[in-house]
Amino acid sequence: MSMRLTDQFTFNRQLFLRHRVRTLLLLLAVAIGVASVILLTSLGEGARGYVDREFSALGNRILAVLPGRKETTGGGPPIYGAVPRDLTLEDANALATIPGVLAVAPIVAGTTTVAYSNRSREVITLGSTDAFFAVRQLDVGAGRVLSPRSRSEPLAVCVLGVKVKRELFGSSRALGEWVRVGDRRMRVIGVLEERGESLGLDMRDMLLIPVRTAEQLFDSPSLFRILLDIAPSADSDKIEQKILTVIRKRHDGEEDVTVISQDSMLAAFDSILVTLTLAIAAIASISLLVAGILIMNISLISVSQRRKEIGLLKAIGASSRQIKQLFIGESLLLMSMGSAAGITFAFSLILIFARLWPSFPLQPPVWAVPAALLVAFGTGLVFSIMPAKQAAALDPVLALRGLQP
Amino acid sequence: MNLRDSSGWIFRALWMQRTRTLLTIIGFSIGIAAMVLLSALGEGLRVFVLNEFTQFGSHIIAVNPGKTETFGIGGLLNTTRPLSLSDASAIGRLANVEEVVPVVMGNAKVKFGQRARYTDVAGVGGAADKAWKLELAQGRFLPADDLQRARALVVLGSKVKDELFAGLNPVGSFVRIGSERFRVVGVAAPKGEFLGTDLDDMVFIPAGKGMQLFNRQSLMEIDIYFNPRATSEAMADKIRRFLIDRHGFEDFTLVTQDQVLATMDNILTILTFAGAGLGAISLLVGAVGITTILMITVSERTAEVGLLRALGGTTNTVRTLFLGEALVLGLIGGVCGIALVALFLLLIYLFVPDLPVALSPTIVFGALSLSMIIGLLAGGQPAASAAKMTPIDALRAE
Amino acid sequence: MIKLQEINKTYQVGGSPLRALCDVSLQIASGEYLSVMGPSGSGKSTLLNMIGLLDRPDSGRYWFDTVATEELSEERRARLRGENIGFIFQQFHLINRLSAFENIELPMMLAGHPLKQRRNTVADVLAMVGLSARASHKPNQLSGGQLQRVAIARAIVMRPRLLLADEPTGNLDSHSGGEVVDVLEKLNQDGITLIVVTHDQTLGDRAKRHIRMVDGRIHSDHSGDTRSQQRVEKRGKNSVDETD
Repeated sequence: MSMRLTDQFTFNRQLFLRHRVRTLLLLLAVAIGVASVILLTSLGEGARGYVDREFSALGNRILAVLPGRKETTGGGPPIYGAVPRDLTLEDANALATIPGVLAVAPIVAGTTTVAYSNRSREVITLGSTDAFFAVRQLDVGAGRVLSPRSRSEPLAVCVLGVKVKRELFGSSRALGEWVRVGDRRMRVIGVLEERGESLGLDMRDMLLIPVRTAEQLFDSPSLFRILLDIAPSADSDKIEQKILTVIRKRHDGEEDVTVISQDSMLAAFDSILVTLTLAIAAIASISLLVAGILIMNISLISVSQRRKEIGLLKAIGASSRQIKQLFIGESLLLMSMGSAAGITFAFSLILIFARLWPSFPLQPPVWAVPAALLVAFGTGLVFSIMPAKQAAALDPVLALRGLQP
Repeated sequence: MNLRDSSGWIFRALWMQRTRTLLTIIGFSIGIAAMVLLSALGEGLRVFVLNEFTQFGSHIIAVNPGKTETFGIGGLLNTTRPLSLSDASAIGRLANVEEVVPVVMGNAKVKFGQRARYTDVAGVGGAADKAWKLELAQGRFLPADDLQRARALVVLGSKVKDELFAGLNPVGSFVRIGSERFRVVGVAAPKGEFLGTDLDDMVFIPAGKGMQLFNRQSLMEIDIYFNPRATSEAMADKIRRFLIDRHGFEDFTLVTQDQVLATMDNILTILTFAGAGLGAISLLVGAVGITTILMITVSERTAEVGLLRALGGTTNTVRTLFLGEALVLGLIGGVCGIALVALFLLLIYLFVPDLPVALSPTIVFGALSLSMIIGLLAGGQPAASAAKMTPIDALRAE
Repeated sequence: MIKLQEINKTYQVGGSPLRALCDVSLQIASGEYLSVMGPSGSGKSTLLNMIGLLDRPDSGRYWFDTVATEELSEERRARLRGENIGFIFQQFHLINRLSAFENIELPMMLAGHPLKQRRNTVADVLAMVGLSARASHKPNQLSGGQLQRVAIARAIVMRPRLLLADEPTGNLDSHSGGEVVDVLEKLNQDGITLIVVTHDQTLGDRAKRHIRMVDGRIHSDHSGDTRSQQRVEKRGKNSVDETD
């Protein structure tokens, strides 16, 4: 024989109403725990989504070839970019013949002064080709991009980042003007669209010139990077192997480059952020543990305050199991109401946040709500067993008299 | 009512309800522990990173070519505004400058016989061992040659030495780096990692040779170690004016160690606070626990409140007694929380001895004060409601 | 010692006002032994609480000695209470976690008396109520009569001049009740002013002055065992006969 669920609800509701403040505080405790789990994991997931979008904003699959190699595993890539044997434009052209490679953008990078009339600015200057725009999915807001001729000819032209343009020209027209870059004069053929930062590179504060021009400007044939756009259907591991083979052939058998794939970078970011999110979720669920202990405490008090009532229930035929059920049910009901409040609160905050910062939308990971509920109900269950057992074990005769056993 | 009587009363009241007191304290101490542990970890990380940075001393100024903020990678790129070796030697002659280390970094294959290894190559000056606190396991460091005409000598990092020479003594042997032969003059003692870079998987050659090897016209960085008696602002200013004099205008970037440390410190302090904030959520729940329990206690002991008032106790006495219970709950919770953290830190120490997480007196003191404050805040409402009761109403409640 | 003048007190009970005390004026001299009787809800307990400074009147004046108490702050009233007035309740109101000794000690503790003095005084009053052997017992180890005697000891430990007892025998069998009354009357003989609120006619009759309350008013107030109808005051017609 068991009590009907609706009866149990009525019973518990009357109890909660009798101890309104106490019940509200308990709900508050549970809600804080559940809300913090959801909100904090949303923050982690939001960061992951942001990184994902930054990468996929590029829309395509990119491999980067860096000069130099390190044999220490687990260390970072060789960032110094200085090697005895340069990665050259010829290497880049050779890589373009690998099947599955859609475009190859060689990059010479350096810092230089760009000046117009009496204004000058020290900027990062990238020497590349028309392919760079395709691979990085960059476009100009005015004028045009580097032409295919930039692959082979040292044209005296440049494309300005918007910030550089503003600094040098203010609001007047830059297209067609001649600027001084280092010790050369170059004509402005385009201004990049306002896109801001992309993967930590502030494209607004950059200067783009043809790769051959950059070689002459910096008096160095060495490439800083080669970016490759690979076909969506291509196997990036295979292409990586092919790249190494081509380079080895061209570098007298030396494999002195490092290949980084966007997928592997993304995966690395992903795993870091997922770990971080899980860690944060675990820390946040400590608060649910604390809430669980509070519920156990209150349940124990409730058992001792309601001895007479429990005795009466037993006297009129309630079984020990039913008493247990009442107390466990009470704690689970508290947990579900608290969780509901917490979930509501968390999601309204997320909505508000989305209004205020649409570029960084918080999105709770799919597992956040189930996990929070699982922890909440788990603690609710575990921590109500002891009080429920205590209540069930009461001797009805003693309990009715309100005496301690 | 004097302090001894009040505390006796409070402890007695708490002891009477051991189970609920214990559970309240457990809940609260978990909260305190979460907060203290996370801030201790943050603080440990901060100290660790700052130590990493200050291990070379704090009286350092770095000069990079190019006048732009490029996240510190400016020196790695090509530049039309080179920093030359003669810039480095000239700076070395300035007053209060103790050591100057020209730096050019790259990556190359180092070959000895049939063995070869791709490794980082640092082109530096003869003073780099002193400046970077490098210990030598064998031989000596690069000599203080004229920077412009340095000889082809090399000091191997311990890992490179192990890979290429295994048990042999490399001093005096020749290794090939790029296309040139370098004579090994020393082997550095193992040094470990610095911010993710393995300092043992590295070889040191003279900066001039490095520039040739990597075909660069400019140094990547000049590190200047100055006399601690000079302030870094004054030194930075002097070096800036000196280089502007030499180059005609400011085509370089100066960064003082102080600036770097301040930035790092800021970031890591924010991180520590974020950690503490995460832990504070649990603490908040623990505080709600104290409030709830005390409210129940007050309602259970209403008659007692009435009695105390009838016997001449003032509202203040009543408030003090209940606030005292909250305070004691908070304090004991705090002490237990710190004990919990100490246990945890011991485990961390056993398994990750490198991370210097320690319970600083500041953290312990701060955590205890915080637990007391939170205890008082949590007890405020219940204590006020107890004090507010009129004695007759309270006496009637049964 | 006590002078009440036109005291009024109204309670809100279930939304409607209940006049608990209605223009009550009363003077009590030091050393008197008063009983206050009357049906339930007649305002006897309210009068006792008023005299005991536990309650404040809505209007009227109350002098304790020469102090006009209605102007005093809650803290001052508490002190006055602690130093001059002892309470005895029907439900004893002993604190279960404290021993008899500690319960008795409580008023001295609240007043901040030093420990040594407390020990001696408590030992004295324990002897006075005949419970020296039970000093370390907890309330749940004592009988009803013993509990009330502990409560009396607590009430007199500060050497008050006024003792207020609200149904002191209400929860006791007649034997223990008799013991308690003996103790109280002995205290009165030693000079303490004693006011007893009771339903119990025999107990009420033992007092030297009898006050009967009806509907918040003092209905009759006469002294002596002779029941000479010495009616004081009352504007209203007091047609209730006292021959019950």
